[in-house]
Amino acid sequence: MTLPAPLLHILKDVLRRQFPKAILPEGEDLSVGAFPEWDSLGHFNFLMSVEERFDVRFSMEEMTELKGLKQIAAALTAHGVVGG
Amino acid sequence: MTHQILRVCGTSNLLPGAAAWRPLEAKATLAFGEYGDWPQALLAGADDPVLWVLVLEDLISPDQAEGLDAEAMDALLRPILEPLRARLEGQATAAALVAWSAWRPDAIVRASRRPTAWQRLARRLETALYALAAQYPGLHLIALDEVFAIEGLRGAFDARNLYAARCRLSRRGLGELAGAVACVLDRLAQPAKKVLVLDCDGVLWGDVLGEVGVGRIVLGGDGLGKAFADLQAAALRLARRGVILVLASKNNEAEVWAAFDQHPEMILSRKDIAAWRINWREKADNLAELARDLDLGLDSFVFFDDNPLEREKMRAAQAQVSTPELPADVTLWPALLDSFDLFAKAEVTAEDTAKTVQYQNRAAFSAERSRAVNETAFLASLEMKPRAEPLGPANLARADQLIHKTNQYNLRAERHSAAALAALAAAPETTAFLTRLSDRFGDHGAVGLTIARRSGTHAFLDTFLMSCRVLGRRLEVWMLADLAARLKSLRVVWLWAEFRDSGRNAVASDFLDAHGFSSWPDAATAPTLPDDLAALAGDGRLYRVALADLALPHLEVFDDPARAPASYPERRAPAAVS
Repeated sequence: MTLPAPLLHILKDVLRRQFPKAILPEGEDLSVGAFPEWDSLGHFNFLMSVEERFDVRFSMEEMTELKGLKQIAAALTAHGVVGG
Repeated sequence: MTHQILRVCGTSNLLPGAAAWRPLEAKATLAFGEYGDWPQALLAGADDPVLWVLVLEDLISPDQAEGLDAEAMDALLRPILEPLRARLEGQATAAALVAWSAWRPDAIVRASRRPTAWQRLARRLETALYALAAQYPGLHLIALDEVFAIEGLRGAFDARNLYAARCRLSRRGLGELAGAVACVLDRLAQPAKKVLVLDCDGVLWGDVLGEVGVGRIVLGGDGLGKAFADLQAAALRLARRGVILVLASKNNEAEVWAAFDQHPEMILSRKDIAAWRINWREKADNLAELARDLDLGLDSFVFFDDNPLEREKMRAAQAQVSTPELPADVTLWPALLDSFDLFAKAEVTAEDTAKTVQYQNRAAFSAERSRAVNETAFLASLEMKPRAEPLGPANLARADQLIHKTNQYNLRAERHSAAALAALAAAPETTAFLTRLSDRFGDHGAVGLTIARRSGTHAFLDTFLMSCRVLGRRLEVWMLADLAARLKSLRVVWLWAEFRDSGRNAVASDFLDAHGFSSWPDAATAPTLPDDLAALAGDGRLYRVALADLALPHLEVFDDPARAPASYPERRAPAAVS
């Protein structure tokens, strides 16, 4: 699936704000565990920040399944978010 | 203020690191405990303030409450509150904040004839928590369900978060919790605002008085006029809790007082207004003058004006003044004024309720002093009657208030917590007194606080402060003389003091030099400050005086037969120097 690039950029920005002290690796498709601060609790908080940024709500299943930025971007698109 | 640590624990997982905590993280370093370790967290870290988030349903299921009477409910709640009680009874000096929620969704009809068992349990919890707060001054409560109700209870909780992460609160609920905690922390760190500055046209009444006349202003009755009357009533409620009301308005002064005197729907009256500037000058200049009249800093003023341009000008010219943005809809203002956190205090004392009269007296005093030629004769003519009363449970709330709001005449600006103050009041090696003053201008209430910590023949002046309401009366000399007499009777010889520059207490800076203290260690080096007292001193300038060498001038201005100057035979007796 092709994803709108701005969406990934925004997601990475949300990630940066969620973990202001972390050193983020290069690349677009980062996943939970990509740096020490991004653990399971950090991931839950990150998904809540994504919800707030895009004004969407993920289901319990989505909270469990969404692990990487590309997956999250795809879920956002499915929620009707267009390009950020 | 130094960046303090706030230990955070809860019965729910509080999602440390969630963005909702960020605004609170700007005020304190949040140290989250592990999920589930709240009993241990309450008992550890006695020197740091702690926040306990208690969601009742995390600990008790609704089924457990069914069929229980009040006594059985209390027995169910007791072990839950035990760690908190143990902390409060122990050595903890830092504040404990408890934010609790007992709401759970239920069918409306189930509570239509009698409260449900869960509702009764929630009330028992509330009663038990407030009983603890009445007993322990260091405990501060946040009724989360009241906070959540403002935007809607249902949205403050999130079942998904509960099942996914064992957190009952939603993102919004966490944010509202953090905001409420920030309000309480702010008040613990900084005093409430003292002065509400009101505009007249467009605030106290609708329309322009100078154009329509007293009979045609919009005030009272139904509709919008009722909103203006309600705003006045809200201002009066604030005044009764100790907020000083002043007017800063661009009007003809005579017309404003005519409205006060003649309009039948006026809620406020002249006697509610402590000071005013009703003229056509810039309001920023008027406020600077009012601050001088009242001897209060501009940072204790809140400017309430309907004109956005006036608000902008005030923010630009007097940034210290709080100038809240107001919604354009006047009907929202009465509730806004009622819920202003800026003025809110946890305790309202008898002094607060008499504040307007005291500040009117202050203005009258300033006027008379400026006319008097001989200061000593003038002070003697005031018939000042000072009186000291030991610090104890009956006056702790007032002492706590003085400690947190006295900025100018305050030697060390040591802001003891309420719990620490209670501990000091009870400590046998402490001499602690409030000073009350009345004179022919009225009863000023408790206006001074002195706390000395003793060790053998030495004493350290832990706290010496005086309300700016009574500056210029030499009351500080009487307070020092009174302390000296008490310390001498306890065989104290040396009094140590520290001046700590808080940036706002310059007025107190020469107090020690002027009354016989010498800077130490510049002074003769022996004796030195005993270690237990040295531990109390901060990073300020240390001073020392032999009590026999204290310089205590002007005591004759006080109408105080019990403690007339003769009561202090050694106050300036060179021959008696030890």
